[in-house]
Amino acid sequence: MNIHTYEKFWLAASMVLIVGFILTITYGTVGIGVAMVDDSGETINPENINDHPKFSSPGVEQVGENEYDVYIQVVQFAFLPTEVEVPAHSTVNIHLTSRDVIHSYSVVGTNANTMVIPGEVAEVTVNVDEPKEYGVICTEYCGSGHHNMEGKLNVVPEEEFEGDSQ
Amino acid sequence: MSLGANSGTYLDQFPDEAKLIRATFYSSFAALFVGALMGLLQVLHRVDILRLIPSEDYYSYLTLHAVLLVLTFTIFFLVGVFTWGVTTSLDRGLEDLRYTWAWYGLMAGGSLLAGITIIGGFFDAIPLSAAVLYTFYAPLQAHPLFYVGLALFIVGSWFAGIDWFRSWWAWKRENPDERIPLPTFMALTTTLFWIISSLGVAISVVVFMIPWSLGLIDQVNALLTRTLFWFFGHAVVYFWLMPAYMLWYVMLPKISGGKLFSDPLARVVFVLFLILSTPTGIHHQYLDPGIAEGFKFIVMVNTMFLLLPSLLTAFTVVASMEHGARQRGGTGYFGWLRALPWRNPVFTGMALAGLMFAAAGFSGMINAGMNINYLVHNTWWVVGHFHLTVGTAVALTFMATTYWFLPQLTGKKIWNKSLGLAQVLLWFIGMTFMSNAMHRAGLAGIPRRTAEPQYSGFDFQPAAGSVAELNMQVVIGGTLLFISTLLFMLIVVMTVRGSKVDTLPANGYAETLSGPEDAPLVLDNLRLWAGIAIALVVLAYALPLASIIGRHGLFGPGGSPSPQFIDTVVFTGQAIFDSLVGVIR
Amino acid sequence: MSSKLRREIGHDEFDPKGTLALIAIYFVIISALWVFMYFVEFLGNDLTIVGTIL
Repeated sequence: MNIHTYEKFWLAASMVLIVGFILTITYGTVGIGVAMVDDSGETINPENINDHPKFSSPGVEQVGENEYDVYIQVVQFAFLPTEVEVPAHSTVNIHLTSRDVIHSYSVVGTNANTMVIPGEVAEVTVNVDEPKEYGVICTEYCGSGHHNMEGKLNVVPEEEFEGDSQ
Repeated sequence: MSLGANSGTYLDQFPDEAKLIRATFYSSFAALFVGALMGLLQVLHRVDILRLIPSEDYYSYLTLHAVLLVLTFTIFFLVGVFTWGVTTSLDRGLEDLRYTWAWYGLMAGGSLLAGITIIGGFFDAIPLSAAVLYTFYAPLQAHPLFYVGLALFIVGSWFAGIDWFRSWWAWKRENPDERIPLPTFMALTTTLFWIISSLGVAISVVVFMIPWSLGLIDQVNALLTRTLFWFFGHAVVYFWLMPAYMLWYVMLPKISGGKLFSDPLARVVFVLFLILSTPTGIHHQYLDPGIAEGFKFIVMVNTMFLLLPSLLTAFTVVASMEHGARQRGGTGYFGWLRALPWRNPVFTGMALAGLMFAAAGFSGMINAGMNINYLVHNTWWVVGHFHLTVGTAVALTFMATTYWFLPQLTGKKIWNKSLGLAQVLLWFIGMTFMSNAMHRAGLAGIPRRTAEPQYSGFDFQPAAGSVAELNMQVVIGGTLLFISTLLFMLIVVMTVRGSKVDTLPANGYAETLSGPEDAPLVLDNLRLWAGIAIALVVLAYALPLASIIGRHGLFGPGGSPSPQFIDTVVFTGQAIFDSLVGVIR
Repeated sequence: MSSKLRREIGHDEFDPKGTLALIAIYFVIISALWVFMYFVEFLGNDLTIVGTIL
């Protein structure tokens, strides 16, 4: 097959681009430690969420020196709890599940973004730095009130943090 | 059959097939018009300039917009284009026109059914609705006729593909030693991956969605049906793109005054799409719980390699245009661009569509990046991306080539070529404004698929500019696009109403600089490539699907249906089922 | 529309240097945009997800 020399250059350049993209993503994973939402969360029955030891009282709980677990129930059309407060400079593990349809939990202006699927528990960990108030929205269409679905993730100075919340 | 001096148009050569293609094109344009109208209403609603209906009902606008544009408009047009390609390149009419009209009927009937259920969502008095969006993720639930309509439409398109295979088999018997002509090769490879990939959504709809919406089964596994959708959902974009590529490969060189740079490479590109387009679907689910990161990584690698056929296409298509330009007298490294036939809307539309597609490669590579996807998932960036791809590379190519096809199908001249040029330019300019603003808005976190991106607890903060400025650009862009659509409709209608002429060019397509004789025979071995395609799909999907089914079983728990569709049908369906079961017991 | 064919260029005489030039520019733009998007927009953004609980 006749492949023109210039097209051979371009084929090589295309492979450089493709491999370069893959390597960059890999660097993000193994170098920086970016992790994808995956199947390590448990499975759960959406109808029995209120029997679950943690999701039945959603909120923030300290689990380590600088580490906090947050449990959020996601429903049509709210996040429960709607406002979540965590202290600055800590590690936050967010656990999410849906009582009804597919939603998302998306912290506006950040990379914290995950789907929330009924039957699955989505678990994501972020390191929060300086105090800041973030808006949280649902970005996966979930029904007629989808556009009203919002919450907050407030990172407060350590002194102001009130401890476990319900 | 000849019509005096003009004995070479497609209408002269294949009058019956021309009638079929006219039907598919007119159906396509009707969908384009309604879909585009929805787009304008959406834009005005989102930025809060004009809200004609309550926001709760906005999602019916959105479902109609997507279903009519990316299913009805695109697929009706492409079955017409491939029918043209196959009959022209084989120089042979279709095998059985009753079969052909039957698949047209399935597609038309299916579209109408689905469309009516969606429109029902605007009216409380009508007990039909399908405000589930184009992706219809369970447990969101539509009226059963929505799913039935979609199924009929897809099955109709399968029969269209089989129609082209029938033509090829018949031609092959009479021409056993010849290479498959390029347009036919493209139609056949596209059909193969279309049938393979749409099996995923067909299973989701027929095995799960329809029985569930009829009340025959209680629950569906939300993650499973979502994954089956995306099995289809990525490959479908290539179903839209392949006919556009075919037009760039076999029509654009000739319009540019030249020849196709390489037939063999065009075959390689289509084979690559056949084998790679389906095992990439999970890249739409990078942020889904319940799917292991390892599977997502493999899919990312597949997706990045899927860039290759498009990058190769860029070279071949531009080189073919350059060939035409230099034959027309163009010189220099860049000066040759000026020698191209920019006054011809068929050329300019396709060239601008291709240019916009190159820009789409940028946002697409970001979407494909497994972890950088966090930045853009479900934001308006994604919408900006696909308005460049299906919304321009495909749609603008289809509109531009209509200016060549319509005379061939009707025997009439285009009513006003200058308006046609204005139409394609308006589309390009409108899309530049709108898509650019959508990308920037997405980076600020502004979401897609929402009636009111105005929230009370916080403000969106774009890195550059303001939300107001972005909104203005989207409104300007959307309005220009709608005006362009109206112009297109006007030109089509006025052309069809005109009188026949004798001065049309003959039907045909581009010759090649490097022809099929240079293409290794193995490229034409469709069975081999289909086999590899199926093997890759099994490799990519067996384990993830097994894992998903293992977590909750085939039927849930997936959450209760939302909204539950009309009670009377549930009741009737349940009653029928119960009585049948009663009889069996 | 008639094309103003001034001369015929065959397979062996055709030198697509214009295509090469355009495609080289595209390569540079895409590479630069990728680096910017990944390292500035993405990694420079808040709250990157760094782990799932084991």
